[in-house]
Amino acid sequence: MAKPVVEVDTLVKQYGQLRAVDGISFKVHEEEVFAFLGPNGAGKTTTVEILECIRPLTSGTARIFGYEVTRNSDVVEIKRRIGALPQEFSALDKLTVKENIELIGDMYEKHLDVMEIIKLLDLEDKTNEKFENLSGGLKQRVGVAAALVSDPQLIFLDEPTTGLDPKARRDVWAVITNLKKLGKTVFLTTHYMEEAQMLADRVAIINKGKIAAIGSPQELIAQYGGLKILKIRGGDEALAGLLQKKYDKVSLNSNGDILVKIDDAEEFWRVMATLTDMKVGRDIEIQTPTIEDVFLKITGGIITEEGELKQ
Amino acid sequence: MKAFTIFKAVTKNWIRSRSGLFFSILFPVLLLLVFGAIFSGIGGTAQYSLFVQNLDTNTSGQPTEISTAFIEALNSTETFAISDIPADANATEYVRDKLGPLGGNIRILVISKGFQDDLLNGTLKVRIGIIYDTVTYFEPYMTDKQNAAISQGLSQMQQLNASIPDTKASLTIMLDPADQSAAMVKSIVMSVVNAFNYELIGAENVVEFNEASVTTKRYSNVDFYIPGITAAFIMTNGIIALTATTTEFKRRGIIKRLSLTPLTKIDWVVGNVLCQTLLNLMLAGIMIALGWVVFNVRVIPDALSIALILLGSIMFSGMGMALSGFIKDVEAASAIGNAIAFPMMFLSGTYFPMEIMPSYLQTVSKALPLTYVSEGLKHAMIYQNPEGTYINMAIVAMLAVVFIIVGAIVTRWKEK
Repeated sequence: MAKPVVEVDTLVKQYGQLRAVDGISFKVHEEEVFAFLGPNGAGKTTTVEILECIRPLTSGTARIFGYEVTRNSDVVEIKRRIGALPQEFSALDKLTVKENIELIGDMYEKHLDVMEIIKLLDLEDKTNEKFENLSGGLKQRVGVAAALVSDPQLIFLDEPTTGLDPKARRDVWAVITNLKKLGKTVFLTTHYMEEAQMLADRVAIINKGKIAAIGSPQELIAQYGGLKILKIRGGDEALAGLLQKKYDKVSLNSNGDILVKIDDAEEFWRVMATLTDMKVGRDIEIQTPTIEDVFLKITGGIITEEGELKQ
Repeated sequence: MKAFTIFKAVTKNWIRSRSGLFFSILFPVLLLLVFGAIFSGIGGTAQYSLFVQNLDTNTSGQPTEISTAFIEALNSTETFAISDIPADANATEYVRDKLGPLGGNIRILVISKGFQDDLLNGTLKVRIGIIYDTVTYFEPYMTDKQNAAISQGLSQMQQLNASIPDTKASLTIMLDPADQSAAMVKSIVMSVVNAFNYELIGAENVVEFNEASVTTKRYSNVDFYIPGITAAFIMTNGIIALTATTTEFKRRGIIKRLSLTPLTKIDWVVGNVLCQTLLNLMLAGIMIALGWVVFNVRVIPDALSIALILLGSIMFSGMGMALSGFIKDVEAASAIGNAIAFPMMFLSGTYFPMEIMPSYLQTVSKALPLTYVSEGLKHAMIYQNPEGTYINMAIVAMLAVVFIIVGAIVTRWKEK
């Protein structure tokens, strides 16, 4: 087992009566991509900013590389070792891409070659472009470049794709995948289910300041995702009725598709055999549960595109 | 040194910003040109408009000789742009019509009917009175024979004086109480009247009035304004521009991004202060150079003035950094910056001498940091008085340290 890079124990952040982070505990291991998935106001950014040493905690402990985030002498060591892309990243408008990355790099005792980072992030043709002239996606890539320039072991990416168009979002995903290949530890916060499922080795679902579930996407889906669904397109009530006599979990949706929930492979083949016997020659599709189903199961709601929780 | 890296970055960012460049350099320069034009008299001396109604006409309806001479005397001061009001017009209505809907200052001088006659009679009466008084003053020192010889003459003089009508030549000036130049206009007209009076009675100056400059060099009005205007814009760049820029950096998360690195607050504050200091040195240089070229000013900044400009920049930039620590949005930064800068500009003797202010405002002005930069620069650049400069410089240096420390303390490097 890789050693833990982030260790959080019963962390609490209180604002007056509001408990933004409510006694959470988790670990992030070396070289893994760890995602904090939750709606707006769940406590994701608050937790990350406590770990980045820019927000004080109320109680509990948080360690990065074994250093305490509350101890002033440790804060310097932590800041030397982490890279960060804050939510809604921005830089000096009139400076170029290269100058902005250099500025962040110069804050460290040593940093990587800026042109190498620019190349890594595929920003070569924008090297001398002013930050103000970049699109949202390119600005985020500059933010990631700035997070990487000090060659950190741990990188915090706070909502890196929020507000980006689909293409820009895919570009950022490619960058994160690349970071994983480089052996970096990535702490990602997001409200996009697909993003967490696709990129993360482990996901912590956070809601109302508490971690509701934690594990790899596969583990979470297996535990909370529910059954696979066999969808028979263009079904009818007669066929649905016949299937209902043999199987318990059959329903007809509003599109006229018959949905059969199946527990395992054995049951799948049994249903297929029945359909063959009945000479049902229609399109058949298998739907696998996703993190979205997990989230729905755990919180009773879904997260909208804007990041709000909808019950 | 990370402060130097911040200095380089924010300076580059500022130099490339057109609006930043305009408000920090071009706007002060434009204002200097306007003030300079006002105080230097380039493009013609300013004149006060004055409407004159001459009611003193002779039998053929022409203005009398002496009333005409009086108007010419007013004209010779080159202070008035004189317009005539016809003798038969209602003076105030006529002037209102002439000024039109956009208005203007109503200033009317009416020369009464009989001005010339009353003036001649009055002059004669005064002159006879003087002769009579002079002779009677010396009576005790004269012999009986001498007294007897002139007593008849004196008696005739008294009779003549009694026969002259005792009326004074009358002038009436009508001014608007809201007219800020009214006192000045009245004072100039009275000076001309006095000069006229003295001339008529043949009085000569007994007291000689000389004017000398308090400075070793001969300076113009613009010279005196250069240190004040320079100090004022060093202040506005620190308090308004830097506060707004830093607040904008905070709103956009740039400060938060930098706080995620090993950069310290003091490096951030010092980097920004250095940038403002460079900008203000450039501004002072441009303003003084412009003064030399356009207004032919003679002030030359010496090492002390440059040191004071540096200290003033550091102090006001520190003040700007301290203010931005308390302010959340850019609009508030601009409003608060203006609310502090403008009263300070007018109360510190930059544009108006402190002597014309009520005593309580003079006390307030002593509590304003700009007063010490402005006064210090005047001592250094105009009066060549190093002692006066050192005192102001010491106060500015002390305040600079205080504001930088406060700025570093209140700059929020952590979220709540």
